[in-house]
Amino acid sequence: MKKKISLLLLALLLCLCAAVPAFAAETDGFADQYYRVVDMADLLTDSEETALIQTLDEISLRQHVDVTVATTDDLAGYSVMEYADLLYEQCGFGYGNSRDGLLLLISTQDSDWYISTCGYGITAFTDAGIQYIGGQIRPELSDGNFAGAFATYASLCDRFISQAKSGEPYDNANLPRQPLSMIWIPIALVIGFVLAKIVVGVMKGQLKTVRYQAAADSYVKSGSMDITESRDMFLYHTVTRTEKPESDSSSGSSTHTSSSGTTHGGGGGKF
Amino acid sequence: MQEYKCPCCGGAIEFDSGSQKMKCPYCSTEFDMETLALYDAELHSDAADSMEWETAAGCAWQEGEADGLRTYVCNSCGGEIVGDENTAATACPFCGNPVVMTGQFSGALKPDLVIPFQLDKKAAKAALMRHLSGKRLLPKIFKDQNHIDEIKGVYVPFWLFDTDVDAQVRYRATRVRTWSDSRYDYTETQYYLVHRGGSIGFSNVPVDGSTKMADDLMESIEPYNIADAVDFQTAYLAGYMADKYDVDAEQSVDRANERVKRSTEEAFAATVQGYTTVQADSSNIRLRGGKAKYALYPVWILHTTWQGKNYIFAMNGQTGKFVGDLPVDKSAAAKWTMGLTAAAGAAAYGVAWLLHLIGIL
Repeated sequence: MKKKISLLLLALLLCLCAAVPAFAAETDGFADQYYRVVDMADLLTDSEETALIQTLDEISLRQHVDVTVATTDDLAGYSVMEYADLLYEQCGFGYGNSRDGLLLLISTQDSDWYISTCGYGITAFTDAGIQYIGGQIRPELSDGNFAGAFATYASLCDRFISQAKSGEPYDNANLPRQPLSMIWIPIALVIGFVLAKIVVGVMKGQLKTVRYQAAADSYVKSGSMDITESRDMFLYHTVTRTEKPESDSSSGSSTHTSSSGTTHGGGGGKF
Repeated sequence: MQEYKCPCCGGAIEFDSGSQKMKCPYCSTEFDMETLALYDAELHSDAADSMEWETAAGCAWQEGEADGLRTYVCNSCGGEIVGDENTAATACPFCGNPVVMTGQFSGALKPDLVIPFQLDKKAAKAALMRHLSGKRLLPKIFKDQNHIDEIKGVYVPFWLFDTDVDAQVRYRATRVRTWSDSRYDYTETQYYLVHRGGSIGFSNVPVDGSTKMADDLMESIEPYNIADAVDFQTAYLAGYMADKYDVDAEQSVDRANERVKRSTEEAFAATVQGYTTVQADSSNIRLRGGKAKYALYPVWILHTTWQGKNYIFAMNGQTGKFVGDLPVDKSAAAKWTMGLTAAAGAAAYGVAWLLHLIGIL
């Protein structure tokens, strides 16, 4: 059963993907059986696809990490993770023996995105890093701007790989900073308004100087206070306990093994 | 049979054979038997406040002593003032309208004490200018148009109350302790019943004895230093006016009681230390040897009318403390609010960016 579906998938792939004739010297280490964009759901126009392939080719060749994209409208009964892993392997993506690279799979069947990583891709794209990329492309995916989402994906991949090569892949602690959220503009205004009200309140307070004296402290005879009875009686006590909040989420990359026995990393979500 | 109420929830407490302690069946709090007995005794020791005063103050005028005094009455506000025969009083110090002399002073009590004026009219004018300056929301025109010629030195009648206070005050206090182990954060709250008893003395608590002078205005220029007070002589009235009391000591005593009670509670509360929260539960205040005196205190009064509203200012004629409510320039207030909102908002946004850049937000 499993073999049949694999074969069916392969057949499908063979129909959609043509072999790439490329310069041997530049493509050394890549299998180069298929274009780096496998648009089975036909989400891109021909010109968009050509442009994306050029971008991905340039990044992949320069970084020696295969950066690829696939789309589908039918997962053929697989989970999105299985499908992505399988597609990566079947298409022969990846650089060198360790098949360094990653694949972004968009499934319009249930609006899923999934990034499958392999080899050096597992190192360069941590779980947190993958979720970060997902967060960056999700708005464009939801809007149906797939070409834009893939362009964002490509440039982020380039950045992530460069960062990983510098020795410290993007992870929980050092994700690229997003610009300050717009929500801070109204929050800052509210803070400003409250402060202004306080200051103006103080200014108004300066104008009001007539008030009753609640107490008569000025008229206490000095040294006249004499505490003769002083009892502090303990009655009872209560103890409440609250569970400590979980410590910071884990970092690094989690991996799994695909049906063919290859180790992949990855993560995904909905759009 | 003795039944105890739970100090925590008020339910009836039962003996719990399991823990060999008294336990509240409603809130499951456990108590020692001894604690409950003491708690119960504490609750039943309450007594009523007693605030009795000897309010006979002032004394009778001697033969001929008040001969040089004249009374004036204001046709507008009905204010009755006293001046010596050489004081040419023309305007009512309370409302500014003309006064007419009604004749020889008579009746009322002779004050026991007087604090003579120590600051003159010039000092009062200077104090007004200081009072008006540096206030950003004061309408500019108010400051410019101010005519401060109508400034009057008035001796205002005060009742002075002396008393010793015996007080028992009960507080409910808590002490909070927190600690944690590897899995949980713990918060322990200990509840205490705190009792303080003792005595404290007050001398010369003043209460305004004139309805013409607003009580809050007079309390605002307190305190007066009683050390400067001298026995009353009519000579001190020369050049000034005096108000006659129209609220007697009996009626004034409630105000003194309020203030004495509050001060006593605060002074006793200050001795309850080492707790996280302290809340007064009940207090029992008894006054001993309360006595009243009748005194005249010096006050500079000026008033001005602006946009149909009367503004009254008062200065303590002894210490120079100057008070008086002023109008608010609403458009200036709105401008300040908007400007400050923009400025503080921009600053807050800048701080948010800064925090963002160093990785906190």
